[in-house]
Amino acid sequence: MAKVLFINPVVREEDVPRHVPYGIALLAAIAIEKGHLVQVYDANAWRAGDEVLDTVLAADHWDAIALGGITTAYGSIKKIAQRARQACPNAKIILGGGVLTSLPTEIMTWLPQVDIGCIGEGFITFPEILNSIDLGQEEFNQVRGTISRNAEGSLVMAPQRSLLHDLDSLPYPAWDLFPLEEVYFPNSTALFSEEGMMAERRLDINMSYGCSMICRYCYHLGISGDMRYEVDKNGKPSGVSFDQPGTYNRTIRYHSPEYVVNLVKHMHDKYGVDFVTFLDENLMTMDRTSGGTWLGRICELWHEKGLAPTFEADGSWSGVCWSGTSHATLCNPEILKIMRKAGCVHLVYGYESFAPHVMKTIGKGATPKTNIRSFHWTLAADIRPVPNQIIGFPNEDFASIRMNMDAWKDLGIVVKPHFATPYPGSEWFTVYRNSIERQYGGNLEDFILDLGDATKITAVISHNFNAVELVGLRDMMLNFDYRHLEEYEMIWRDNHGIKEGAPSTLYSEPKLKKAS
Amino acid sequence: MDVLKGNFQTKKPATLNKKSDNESLEDRFEREALKNLGGSIAFVSKKKVLWGDEDQN
Repeated sequence: MAKVLFINPVVREEDVPRHVPYGIALLAAIAIEKGHLVQVYDANAWRAGDEVLDTVLAADHWDAIALGGITTAYGSIKKIAQRARQACPNAKIILGGGVLTSLPTEIMTWLPQVDIGCIGEGFITFPEILNSIDLGQEEFNQVRGTISRNAEGSLVMAPQRSLLHDLDSLPYPAWDLFPLEEVYFPNSTALFSEEGMMAERRLDINMSYGCSMICRYCYHLGISGDMRYEVDKNGKPSGVSFDQPGTYNRTIRYHSPEYVVNLVKHMHDKYGVDFVTFLDENLMTMDRTSGGTWLGRICELWHEKGLAPTFEADGSWSGVCWSGTSHATLCNPEILKIMRKAGCVHLVYGYESFAPHVMKTIGKGATPKTNIRSFHWTLAADIRPVPNQIIGFPNEDFASIRMNMDAWKDLGIVVKPHFATPYPGSEWFTVYRNSIERQYGGNLEDFILDLGDATKITAVISHNFNAVELVGLRDMMLNFDYRHLEEYEMIWRDNHGIKEGAPSTLYSEPKLKKAS
Repeated sequence: MDVLKGNFQTKKPATLNKKSDNESLEDRFEREALKNLGGSIAFVSKKKVLWGDEDQN
C-alpha cells in the first residue's frame, strides 16, 4: 500500500494556527481506511521552517506527497512543492483543494513539480489516485477528477468526478494525526462571543456542502455543483468554469442530524471538546432545503445526547457550545431560539452592506431590511450575531458608505470591513479577470500570491474608487469621520465631473469578457 | 517533539530541534508588537536594518 505524506501548508501567517484542516483530516482517514500508510506533517500548526520540512521529507521513502488548501495557501504550497520535488524525486506530488480547483491549468503550469491535481471533491478521487500509484501507473488520465501530465509532459484533464451523495459514508476526520494538545487546543479561543473566548478545547466540523445563494464574490471550491467542465473541439475536457452572469448551478448536500451529533459526541468523549464551530457555508440553507427540519433535529439530538451546555455562574460550562453561519433572509426567530437552547452562542452573518443599491448587485438574496431584522432576532435569541461587512463593491459609492456608517451607529456594530476581493472561482473573478491581470502587470500568479483574507487590499473591483481611496475611506468609516468624507466627496466629484446632487457613481453593469 | 503523526513508524524521526522549537525573544517581541502596531506602539525590525555604518555618524 502507498506510503503517503500529507502536508498542511501555512496559511494566515499573521495569526496563530486555529483550525485543523478538515479536508486533509478526512482524506487522511479515508486513506487509512483503505489500508495505506499515512503520516501528516501540519506545517501550518508547527510553523517550524524549512529545516524541519526537509527532515520530514527525508523521514521515509514516500510514494505520494499530498498537498492541499485554499487559494491563500498558494505561496506556502509553491515553496513546499519545490522542496518536496528536490528531496523526493520519485514521489508523486498530488495537489488538491480550492487552490487547484479554481484554476487547474494555471496552477499546474505554475507548479511543474506537481504530478497530479485533484479537481473538486477528493473523497473518491484521492483514494483512486493512491490505488493507481499502488499499481505502478505513471499516467492518471483514467482517474476522473484529475489533471495530470502525460509522457510528453502535456497537461491532461480526465472527465469530471461526480460528487459524493452519501456523505454519512465518510469516516470521522483523523484528528489524532494533528497536534491538538500541542497547538490547536491552546489556540481554541474564538473572539466572537463570551463562550468562544472561553473555549479551551475547540474543534471545527463541516456538516454540509453548498449554498443556495449566488453571492458574486463567493467561491464554493467545486463541491457545491458550481463547477462545470469545458470541452475542446474533440469533446475532451479542457478547463473548468464557475458562476457566470446568468449561469448558476447548485447541489446542496448535508450529513444526517444523527451523523452530526454522533460525531460531536465522539469529539466530546474522546477529545474532551467543549466548543464546536460549524465551518459550513450557510447552515440556514440546509435547514431550508430540508424543509426546516435539519437544524431542529440536530438541536433535539444535542439535548438527547447530553451535549447541550449547562452554565456555571462564572460563565464556564459542561457540554458543548457551538457556533456557525446564518443568513439574514433564511433564518427565523423560532429556529434561533431552539439553537440557543442547544448551545449555539454566536452566528456569523455576511451582512456585507446596509445600502440597498449595493445589496441588489451582490446576489446575496438579502436586503438591509432583512439584515436588520435577523440582527434583532438573533440578539433576542441571546445569540451574538457576528456582522461581517465588506467595502469596495463594484457600485460602492459615497451614499453606500454613509448608509453603512449610519447603520453601524444605530445598531452598535463595531467592525473593520473586509475589502471586496475577486477570489478565483467567484463570479467576480471571471467578470473582472482582465482588470485583475492588468492590476498585476499581466501576471495572474502575483495576484494569487498576494491574496489573503481580504483584510488588506489586493485587486480592486470598485468602479468608483481605487485602492488608495478605499483604504482611506475605510479609515474614515471606522472613525465615523463624516466631515472628511464630505470634503473628499467634493474633490472626487470635481475629479470625475459629477455635479453635486447627482449619484456619486461611475458604475455600469459589467459585461463578461473572455480572459486574454 | 515529533512533528509527524501517522499510523506507522517512519524510517527516520522528524522532530523539532531546539533552534526552531524555541522562538527567540526578539522574534516574540516583534510579533507581539506588530499585533498592536499604531499610535505609540512602533518598533525597529532588527533583521531589516543595518546600523553602525561610519557614514551615518
